[in-house]
Amino acid sequence: MTNSRWTQSLLQYGGLLAVLVLLIFIFSVSSENFFQTSTLVTIANQVPDLTFLAVGMTLVLIVGGIDLSVGSLLALSSAVLGVLMAHRGWSIWPSLGVAMLVSGVGGMINGSLSVGFRIPSFIVTLGMLEMARGATKVVTDSQSVYIGSRVEWFGQPLPGILLSPAFLTAVLAVIIGQFVLTRTVFGRYCVAIGTNAEAVRMSGIRSAPYSIAVFGISGLMCGLAGLAQTSRLSTADPNGAIGMELAAIAACVIGGTSLMGGRGSVISSFIGVLIIQVLRTGLAQIGVSDANKQIITGLVIVVAVMLDAVRSHWGKSK
Amino acid sequence: MKNILSLCLIALLIGCGSKPTSSPSADSDTASSKPRVALIMKSLANEFFSTMAKGAQQHQSEHADDYELVVNGIKDERDLSRQVALVEEMVASGVDAIVIAPADSKALVPALRRAKQAGIVVVNIDNQLDQDVLEMEEVSIPFVGPDNLAGAKKVGDYLAESLTGSSPQVAVLEGIRTSFNAQQRRKGFEAAMEEAGIPIIDSQSAEWEMSKANTIASSMLSEHPDIAAILCANDSMALGAIAAVKSAGRSGDVQIVGFDNITAIQNAIGEGKVLATADQHGDQLAVFGIEAALKEIHGEGAGNDIETPVDLVTAESLSKK
Repeated sequence: MTNSRWTQSLLQYGGLLAVLVLLIFIFSVSSENFFQTSTLVTIANQVPDLTFLAVGMTLVLIVGGIDLSVGSLLALSSAVLGVLMAHRGWSIWPSLGVAMLVSGVGGMINGSLSVGFRIPSFIVTLGMLEMARGATKVVTDSQSVYIGSRVEWFGQPLPGILLSPAFLTAVLAVIIGQFVLTRTVFGRYCVAIGTNAEAVRMSGIRSAPYSIAVFGISGLMCGLAGLAQTSRLSTADPNGAIGMELAAIAACVIGGTSLMGGRGSVISSFIGVLIIQVLRTGLAQIGVSDANKQIITGLVIVVAVMLDAVRSHWGKSK
Repeated sequence: MKNILSLCLIALLIGCGSKPTSSPSADSDTASSKPRVALIMKSLANEFFSTMAKGAQQHQSEHADDYELVVNGIKDERDLSRQVALVEEMVASGVDAIVIAPADSKALVPALRRAKQAGIVVVNIDNQLDQDVLEMEEVSIPFVGPDNLAGAKKVGDYLAESLTGSSPQVAVLEGIRTSFNAQQRRKGFEAAMEEAGIPIIDSQSAEWEMSKANTIASSMLSEHPDIAAILCANDSMALGAIAAVKSAGRSGDVQIVGFDNITAIQNAIGEGKVLATADQHGDQLAVFGIEAALKEIHGEGAGNDIETPVDLVTAESLSKK
């Protein structure tokens, strides 16, 4: 039994982990300064914001949607957090509460409009991408808001364990996300909706509340990601996280989540995030030119997805 | 269950990584006695910064025995999260000095403070860090670079002399407003215009970018048809403004000035499409910073600010070359 579980998880995550290990190996060989605690800790403490977004994005992709607004909602929640903390003198937790409320409501609006009016979520969230970015600039008056050590600690390594509270929270979000997806009625319905919405409807389940909730969760994740990014910068940046939605989608797709809905795993998306970050850090340490960096990053995304496709095909035919 | 297993796998992976660390890092310290300098730039897609980076690489190849150089940039000028990440990655890889052109004058300060605490020499080039935040973070980082305000004023003064029409009005295309350089150059332009008694009727940020500048300059020209000149806080925006002036059918009629002296702008100055720009010797800016960093590594120099030259570039000065 245990044995088959091992093989099962190896089958499910093996290909991805192989890509990750291969990348770490390549960078360790090509840079003497890569394979050491400080570098690996740095990588771990840089992934929280993208991890939160990827958790939300995985769920959205599974119900057959897409959320292009996550970068802007991240910036908006970061702006709210920054303005409340720096200009109003609020402490971190109530500020985070308001920030998550704002981004969560943003996500709910995405879900409600796309479900209620049957507009593709691509369009609705594209609109939200612009609106939330504009709102961010209004909130911050287009100025970066410096907060300082009151928020910095959340993104800095804890003494002793070397990992930041942000990283630990992000890992917790991954675990909860995977649990919700695979072990709860809510999660199974999400997969069902993404696989065959018509069948779900025929069996008398109203899918609308689930789809809306999934976009709401994605919004809440943007709030947490906003805190993670703000703490790493000690600053709320109104221009922050531009284009980050694409990185989040890339992480999910590398992790084997289907853009057609119905298939995906939060843990695989997390490995996707790690692959992206290892690549970024490794290429920066070697000092590869910017043009080559982009080419290599693009290649790795495509190759990782290809390996995953080959693996799942092999897994099925066997 | 399998999920927990796979999490363990990841943990194992990260865990494995942390074990054999002390030996390779110790080796690398003794193996290469040459100091390693990390140059962290803004967008290398911007010619100004790629010129700066090339100048640094040229300098390194001529002084290959003195130091090693790692150059990194970010995708676009606003990606400051990535730039902070680069600082952290360079600290992690154990470089001896970081020479940085910060994408934001405030947000980079805490990361650079942490770098200094890790014993790394930090030198600030191009865009000066915010003094208030430096004080709040209780850190001092030397700035090696040009006086942007004075440079912009030179350009503005030269423009003012050439605006001979009756009661001319001008517009300004600013850089990203959060950046210190953008603020300094705007102040320099404003000072020059105020002295000459020329009103600035519109001033907007085009975020250093050509296509944005093109859009904004076009709308400025249709909103205020009397504009006699557009002052651009960098040359990329000036190039965007040239196209806007051309499509408004006012080529030769509206003067444009820029800042940075990139290659494309020299051609435009030669053709008379742009009146003047300022040369802050971009190819040498990073080199000045690296030299200051190397001095500090060798225990020379107290980490003071160093001012580098800014020269006015016009058709006249170009033809002399």
